[in-house]
Amino acid sequence: MLARAIEETGLPTAGIVLIKEHAERVKPARALWVPFPFGFALGNPDDPPFQHEVLAAALDLFKATSAPVLAEFLEDGEAPVRLLQATAARAESTSDVDADAADELTAMRGYYERWVDNHDGRTLVGLTGVPQRRWRGLIKYLQSYAAGDAPTYEEIPADMAEPRFIRLAADDLKAFYMEARMCQRPDQRNNDVQQWFWTETAAGTLLAQIAERLNVAGDDALTRAAFGIAR
Amino acid sequence: MPRLEDLTEIARQGHLNFPAFEHDDAPFVALTKPLSEARLALVTTAGLHLRGDEPFVNNDQSFRVIPSDTPARDILQSHTSIGFDRTAFMRDVNISFPVDRLNELVEQGAIGSLSTNYYSFMGALRNPKQVEEETGPEVARLLIADGVDAVLLTPT
Repeated sequence: MLARAIEETGLPTAGIVLIKEHAERVKPARALWVPFPFGFALGNPDDPPFQHEVLAAALDLFKATSAPVLAEFLEDGEAPVRLLQATAARAESTSDVDADAADELTAMRGYYERWVDNHDGRTLVGLTGVPQRRWRGLIKYLQSYAAGDAPTYEEIPADMAEPRFIRLAADDLKAFYMEARMCQRPDQRNNDVQQWFWTETAAGTLLAQIAERLNVAGDDALTRAAFGIAR
Repeated sequence: MPRLEDLTEIARQGHLNFPAFEHDDAPFVALTKPLSEARLALVTTAGLHLRGDEPFVNNDQSFRVIPSDTPARDILQSHTSIGFDRTAFMRDVNISFPVDRLNELVEQGAIGSLSTNYYSFMGALRNPKQVEEETGPEVARLLIADGVDAVLLTPT
């Protein structure tokens, strides 16, 4: 849709698309369908030659003399097609997570900081804006919320609804843990990291409990927040 | 996306029933010069923005400006979902936003130059009417004013 809007305003576009069936309906001018899962638009992370192959195929579409063009990139990437979900992972788990999430977070911090150092300061943590030195308080608040209490938390911006804040906090926690884990266990990828997070960490257990609490309320806004946290 | 037949039934039905706008034909503007002489812009629907920018919310039809020389460490992603694995983007910004690859193509002479700014929208919009009529054309006009010749779009 965005591609059409840009093309109609006067600029040629070429786009990578992940769902061929949608591109067939929307009909952007030039689209390259790729067989990779969501999150892997250029195929494989840390694989410049492969990414260049995908890019070359997309940029080649600018040679087209009419539209629509829907080309296909047929080489598969490394990522698994199906993303492991929290419920499935936890249903088959025999792990018994006994740690406190705040202590666990402290224990993971060294790995997280090394990950950030190794990635030129890059991290996906930062959506809530709560400084990490105050994350013990954030964890305490989330634990209280998960337990069914009605905690107040001074870091929630005045103009932000609580479910929205919880969702952003969940995304920050996941990023912290998953980046730390990929530093701790560089051999683990994709669903290995999901499996570990949802079944072996107190933070994963905490987020699953929060999603449960949001879901049972029967409120649309809360259900939407839960849907983004764990399913 | 992988072939829909490889997905779970619930995921497959979710994608098939997603309200993608249907059209009979496509707009077409020809690129009138070789890419090696063209100025290229990158526009993504990965929900990216600068650290400190307002995060996107669901069905957010606004856009964010990302200067094309922004270091990767200053880019965050607020399009998140249990529907996709963010570990790839944690490892490598280029998986959705191939800034390093485009810089390499300019160095190799395959692309003439890159736009001053890149632009980012939220993904998974269920009714992108405002993108279609307002914010999408607005970004196109900003790119035209920057002398851009062609636009590459990338999803999450």
